[in-house]
Amino acid sequence: MAIIELEEASFAYDAAPAVDAVSLAVAEGDFLCIVGPNGSGKSTLLKLMDGLLVPGGGSVLVAGRPASEYRRRELARKLAIVPQSYSLDFDFTAREVVEMGRYCRKGEPGSRQVEGILDRLGVAGLADRPFNELSGGEQQMFVLAQALAQEPEVLLLDEPASHLDVSHQLALFDMLVRLNSEGLTVACVLHDLNLALLYFREAAMLDEGRLFARGPADEVLSPESIASVYGVQAFMHRHAGRTFLTFSPRRRPARKLKVHLICGGGSGAGLMRRLVDAGYHVSAGVVNTLDTDEVTARELGLPTAVEAPFSTFSDEAQRENEALIADCDVVVLTAVPVGAGNLPNVTAARRAAESGKRVLVAGGIEERDFTGRAAAELEGVTGIRRVSSDEEIMTVLEEQWAASSS
Amino acid sequence: MFQGITTNREKYTAFVFAGTVLLLLASTFAALAVGPARVTPGKVLDYLFTGRTAGDPVSVVFWTIRVPRVALALLVGAALALAGACLQGLLLNPLADPYVTGVSSGAALGATIAIFARLPDIPWLMVFAMCGGLLTLFAVYGIATRHGKMNIYRLLLAGVTLSYLFFAVQAVLLIRSGNDVHRVIYWLLGSFNGRGWNEVKIALFIVPLLVVPFFFADELDILLQGEDRALELGVEVERVKRVLFVVAALLTAVSVSVSGIIGFVGLVVPHLARLVLGPGHRRMLALSILFGSTVMVLSDLVARTAFAPSEIPVGVVTVFFGAPFFLYLLRRRPG
Repeated sequence: MAIIELEEASFAYDAAPAVDAVSLAVAEGDFLCIVGPNGSGKSTLLKLMDGLLVPGGGSVLVAGRPASEYRRRELARKLAIVPQSYSLDFDFTAREVVEMGRYCRKGEPGSRQVEGILDRLGVAGLADRPFNELSGGEQQMFVLAQALAQEPEVLLLDEPASHLDVSHQLALFDMLVRLNSEGLTVACVLHDLNLALLYFREAAMLDEGRLFARGPADEVLSPESIASVYGVQAFMHRHAGRTFLTFSPRRRPARKLKVHLICGGGSGAGLMRRLVDAGYHVSAGVVNTLDTDEVTARELGLPTAVEAPFSTFSDEAQRENEALIADCDVVVLTAVPVGAGNLPNVTAARRAAESGKRVLVAGGIEERDFTGRAAAELEGVTGIRRVSSDEEIMTVLEEQWAASSS
Repeated sequence: MFQGITTNREKYTAFVFAGTVLLLLASTFAALAVGPARVTPGKVLDYLFTGRTAGDPVSVVFWTIRVPRVALALLVGAALALAGACLQGLLLNPLADPYVTGVSSGAALGATIAIFARLPDIPWLMVFAMCGGLLTLFAVYGIATRHGKMNIYRLLLAGVTLSYLFFAVQAVLLIRSGNDVHRVIYWLLGSFNGRGWNEVKIALFIVPLLVVPFFFADELDILLQGEDRALELGVEVERVKRVLFVVAALLTAVSVSVSGIIGFVGLVVPHLARLVLGPGHRRMLALSILFGSTVMVLSDLVARTAFAPSEIPVGVVTVFFGAPFFLYLLRRRPG
């Protein structure tokens, strides 16, 4: 059953709506994060849910009743908020701050609940210290404790991690996961999309006051949605057992230069990303499936000549690679170790140079040549330039781009 | 509300309250004993217990002049301190005192009009002052409230603006009156001189008003986190603000109408109470009342004895002692 239900809810501070006809339900047991760019209406949405704001259109129901019709104390027993910022200029002890959360349950026994919460959050030892002398992370734990002292059915959080270091962030979200598994419904406004992916099953994305998407977190937080809502290029990676996003700056005006990376073993991944971020058209090959460079190219959506894992390159893969080379302006042979399996890649680089392509070869090929033939293969071929670093490659390409575009 | 206070702190609190009550009793006793007609401490008790004795002139002086005067100082001191404590909490502003509401300026204008119109002091000066104060209360309340919500900043600004306006009107009246300037100024500076049982009867309205804020002690604590947070924690913020603003304004209006504008008690005493016992309102409000009464009784004692037989306005005394003390606190407190 939905504890909080927004139906076509709208709210405007002035002329422009801050929340625009949003329909969103938070059901019992949900563990939901709410994301969206600055000014997309996330905090306003929380305030509507908590009855601090009255919707100008539509309705906001808490347990079936309009939030704004509740008496404050009654609503505080249903839902609690951990606010975005909290400050207190007076010398209360941390325990006194938590005990203020019991206000809505005045008359009920409370000291045992408070002690229980302080123990759960692992801050009982700090409770008698003045609140203002605690660190930001510790303070946030006590503000969470204050909200939990209300014994709410739903916990709403507004950017709870923004002032926290990584260890406190993880501690906070681990705690939320545990509380949720014990039956607490959680809805959390979040800026950090990777924290959202890491911890939340479900996500809702807002865009200029409207609900853009709602569903499983890894679907809502797709690179396509992010591009459309945030205007930022995002890539989703699955690595080390995690799904996470990386972001590229707003796409620069595209550089028409096409760069083909002959790489493998992770030797090209970093450069690949830099080139994409800088706006070049990038392709890669031949790489084996599941090779770090292949994974990166796939996640970046690059045209790639691919061979099955741990296999020597088939003719088909090599032909594909040659086609990509034929189509590009510059070929880069990265610092990939050369063995019998990928020797054809070196040959491809030589052929490219012979056919008049500009070819950049990462220096020190002799040291990483396990065939004894690679270095010889490239000996004396004109059109090959040795480069010592990714920086140098970037500079060379930048010069070539400048020359070709003027 | 707050459990788990260490026993040390409880002991400290009890000690502070016991000490303050003793100090208040001693001050009251001294104020009853000292004056042109000297009354020995033994006699003070005697008079208090036997009541007014018709044949004894000292007893008559004691009961018709000194007791009402001290009683008035006790009540007004408590009222101003409590009003200041409520407003500082409510407005989240350490500079708030009972006079930011503008009520005192309204009362002062009312009193000036009464003096200017040559109405008899009893009861008209008091009545006019009270009406001026109450009308200002309604005006400020009306200006600050929109859509059922009282805006704290608008409240402060409305109070200050009306004060200026009333002062301007008052200035015009003063310039045109000539002869009454002295009386008006003396009234404005605040004094218990010449006040009797009539004023005490009016001031008894203070007693029930002193109780009200204690019902909102938890709410006042929670409001220190800001209005939004208080709403989130379940406080009916608008109701609390409305009730406490009206109570503070009434306390001020009654005080000003019986004794004029006595400055600084309402500003300094709550700070002092907070400094001694911390910000928790249950204790802080109670201590403010005790401190307020003590300070006012002692100030009045100084006002009437320092340059005897002539008197100085008690409002001058409170500022003379209050200002340096407050500056000292400002220097001492970090942040």
